[in-house]
Amino acid sequence: MKKISAILAIFALLAIFAGCSKAPEAEMAAAQASLQAAQQAEAETYAPDALRMAQDTLNAATAAKTEQDGKFALFRSYSASKDMFVRADALLKQASSTAATEKEKVKAQVMELLAQAQAALDSANAAVAKAPVGKGNKADIELIKNDLAGVGVQFGDAKADFDAGKYMVAKGKVEAVITKAQSLMGEIAAAVAKKRTGSAR
Amino acid sequence: MARLQRNPGLFFAAHSVLAMVILLSGCDKPPTQSLDNAKARLADAGKAGAIRYAEPAYRKAEKLVQQGWLEIARQNGRLGPLRDYKTADSILALSILASQEAIAKTRDSLDRVSFKTRLGLEDLQKQIANWTESVNGSLARYKLERFANAAELQLHVAQNLHRRGEYDAALTALTKGNETLRQLSVLFADFADADARRLSIWQSWIDETLANSRATGGYALIVDKSAHKTYLIKSGRLAKSYNCELGYNSAHQKLLAGDGATPEGRYQVVQIKLRSSKYYKALLLDYPNDSDRKRFAENKRQGIISTRARIGGLIEIHGDGGKGDDWTEGCVALTNQDMDHILEYVTAGTPVTIVRKSVNWP
Repeated sequence: MKKISAILAIFALLAIFAGCSKAPEAEMAAAQASLQAAQQAEAETYAPDALRMAQDTLNAATAAKTEQDGKFALFRSYSASKDMFVRADALLKQASSTAATEKEKVKAQVMELLAQAQAALDSANAAVAKAPVGKGNKADIELIKNDLAGVGVQFGDAKADFDAGKYMVAKGKVEAVITKAQSLMGEIAAAVAKKRTGSAR
Repeated sequence: MARLQRNPGLFFAAHSVLAMVILLSGCDKPPTQSLDNAKARLADAGKAGAIRYAEPAYRKAEKLVQQGWLEIARQNGRLGPLRDYKTADSILALSILASQEAIAKTRDSLDRVSFKTRLGLEDLQKQIANWTESVNGSLARYKLERFANAAELQLHVAQNLHRRGEYDAALTALTKGNETLRQLSVLFADFADADARRLSIWQSWIDETLANSRATGGYALIVDKSAHKTYLIKSGRLAKSYNCELGYNSAHQKLLAGDGATPEGRYQVVQIKLRSSKYYKALLLDYPNDSDRKRFAENKRQGIISTRARIGGLIEIHGDGGKGDDWTEGCVALTNQDMDHILEYVTAGTPVTIVRKSVNWP
């Protein structure tokens, strides 16, 4: 009876060890995939702290698994590293989500600026199109039209940067467009006044 | 204990387990402090901007931290007496050095690029100011001002980007601004070359005008476009000079109607308008003359101007000047006071010579 109990105990122990000795390959692969997704989501730029924390957890999980890999099979237990991979996966997904949210915030800001710039350009183009032209202001109007064309090109550059996801660069360019377009509105008004009164620039 | 001594098998198993516990506990301690330090230095490098400004150095440090971490894990998995953390320690020490190098490279890169951008901004701003001064005083202002304005827009873009720390994009904008100024300088030089080629011709017109006035004892007018001066000549000598304003595009010879250029050539007054001018009073000139018509036809033939272009006319010397700018469509504008003065001496038939530039006279 004692012998049977001992044998049964040994088998039970072996079963427990076998359960814990399966490496968490699926959980590791899932976490690695989430890391790639977070990098593609530009988490390094938009959620650097969250990404760093998630990467540390993934590194710790990998280290914990490696530690178990080196042990004698009967003494391996992957339960801790499995849990860590699952947690790392969740953190990486969170980092991706945070990055997407932050990026959307910046994107929305720049979109608003682009809309303002478009409105400023449309106003300026409309004003110059209906400005009376004659002796005394023809050169001014021609120069303003040329300047507006240049500002339009700059606006196009800003939009291209926005479409490429370079939001901070787009922001810098579009602010200059808004300032210049507003300045040109003032010049248009001055040119129109010059035509009416015949006064100097 | 007595039970153990009575049963040798059990005695042996108990001692084996005890021996294994001692073995598994190990002797060498893992360098957890070194690992923490290495992770902290890597985080510092990331916060300093190394991922952006010194990425290869950052990635090297990152890889070393991971390698050191895994090496600790590998040693942890071994039996106690077999563990050796020296390699892990060395790797982590290297990773700290690599992180420090990444931080140094980031600072260096940022300093250089920020300094370079700042210098570039100052330089472009100075160049624009210089060119604006040259352009404002030039006959070619109409053609050149747009380049100066375009460069100024690039300067503002670069300033915005510099404020945001987007140094690479700021440098690109500066490059565009500088290229625009280079195009301006080429155009400016082209105008200067064109002037240099025709100087002797204009000088000969002036000489002939002076000679005729000397010979007849009569009056003549000479307009020097570059100087923005109209000169009243009496008997071949300068009697009076007046400031004048010209067509807004007077850096070259008049080509066609509506081009905004004041024509260059030898003309005469054909009509004096004391009441019928929109611009106070006026002296109507005989533009286009035969020389103008010949040139106009040749330009059409060569395709320099459209076959549908018109030669234009109604070029006058008139009043309402004093605006401080070239604003006419091609006429020469004087102040009303100067028009009154000139009209005391000028009659129909008075020669009027218009040159772009004079160097030897008055």
